[in-house]
Amino acid sequence: MSLTKVLTDALDTGINQIGQLRILRDPIQLHHIDDHDLDSLKVHTDPEDAREIGRYTPEGDYRFTKGELSLPKGWIFHLDSVAELRSTIDLFYPASLGLWHAWKGGEIRVQNLRDKLNRQTGMYRHSRNVSDKGAQELVQSLCGPGNKCVKKILWSVDQELPLDDSEASRFNGIVGDADESNAIAMVCQEACNFFVAQARQKSKEEFEAKEV
Amino acid sequence: MKLIYFMEFTPKPDAALLIVGHGSTENPDSSTPYFDHAREVRRRNLFGEVHCCFWKEEPSMREALYMIDAEEVYIVPDFISEGYFTQEVIPRELDLTGPTTKVHGKTIHYCDPVGIHPSMTSLILQRTQEVAPGVPQEESTLFIVGHGTGLNKNSTKSIKDQVEHIKTLPTCHFANVIDTYMEEPPFIADWAKLAETPNVVVVPFFIADGLHSYQDIPMMLGFEKEEGLAASQKDVFRHNPYHLQNKTLYYSAAIGADPMMADVILDQISTFDAQHVAH
Repeated sequence: MSLTKVLTDALDTGINQIGQLRILRDPIQLHHIDDHDLDSLKVHTDPEDAREIGRYTPEGDYRFTKGELSLPKGWIFHLDSVAELRSTIDLFYPASLGLWHAWKGGEIRVQNLRDKLNRQTGMYRHSRNVSDKGAQELVQSLCGPGNKCVKKILWSVDQELPLDDSEASRFNGIVGDADESNAIAMVCQEACNFFVAQARQKSKEEFEAKEV
Repeated sequence: MKLIYFMEFTPKPDAALLIVGHGSTENPDSSTPYFDHAREVRRRNLFGEVHCCFWKEEPSMREALYMIDAEEVYIVPDFISEGYFTQEVIPRELDLTGPTTKVHGKTIHYCDPVGIHPSMTSLILQRTQEVAPGVPQEESTLFIVGHGTGLNKNSTKSIKDQVEHIKTLPTCHFANVIDTYMEEPPFIADWAKLAETPNVVVVPFFIADGLHSYQDIPMMLGFEKEEGLAASQKDVFRHNPYHLQNKTLYYSAAIGADPMMADVILDQISTFDAQHVAH
């Protein structure tokens, strides 16, 4: 089934939110969940504008993790079809629809952190040396709505070691008061490459601390 | 004069194109060329879907297949050379085992990187005409500039190959074509010594414009003195020509910023089909 059909079916069941996006139907529109005076918003009709809108925070910082809770407000998309809606969402939150659909269908390929780090090569090979404690600290300082990402973490440190309880590990991938009946959860099937880069840095710091 | 003849492309409405780029967590402009290339291919309605994915940005290579409906996927590395990323990282991240891999319910065709395709050579020549119109090639030296590291011979091989190929083209009348690098000899910083002609044309062999093309290479050439404006605010390509060291220098944007890169991507796919896929 195409993801456009998946999205259509989801909208039919009452889904109207993903991340910081509010989805309206008839006509199809998309805006920031914290914008309420829709007539005051700048209108966009080209899905590709979404990339530019989501590129910077309101403060002008680069949003390289798209799940960061820092999407600017002040815009609304007027779209002609669910296919256009899908394209727009994929530029705000890349692959989020497909990952959600795979997760709901039990077909998502989750990779635990140790497996992810152990398969790194080149300069990132050293990320595997990060301690379990260091890895847990990274999750709590990088992941979750208070940090870089509002995705629900599906992975553990390894098969035996779950993530420590924290806001990041508990987060359900849905922003605000919505729930699974009306929001598409954003999910994280394996640590991102920004996390890997930070794990490399952390392992270096741990190594240097031992040397002292 | 038309310098470029791209290959015929058979539309693939049931297949997806996935363009792989490096991306950056620091430079917001880094991924723009990949999206531009994707937009151009999408505009031509040649594929059912066209997507991008990245090493350093989202969607990651690990996430990208989840956003694709099509069962047949062509993957084109939007990279300038063969090397660590195209030979190791991309196959590893996407679970590829050969030119065509059946994995995760899809048939994935893995093409060569854009930078090594012969049509890239013509694109460079076309670029020189745009950046230095009317300048006699017989009195000009063309410099192709790469990064160069000394760590990976493949990273300079594609540039050396391009230079050799350009020299053989009947449409090339440059007095000399020289491969140069930022971090290994022959250094672009030595351009004035290397060029024996009054005119010089410099083309950075990078996919994205960024600090290297906006700032580092201009400093090595001598027309930027120090770190100045943020990269995206610079306008170094619009002040041609530069008069330096008794020569006239014409400086191009990164070759990957050329809109015709979409044609090189399509050519790389046609070449893949000719070599690997029996239709």
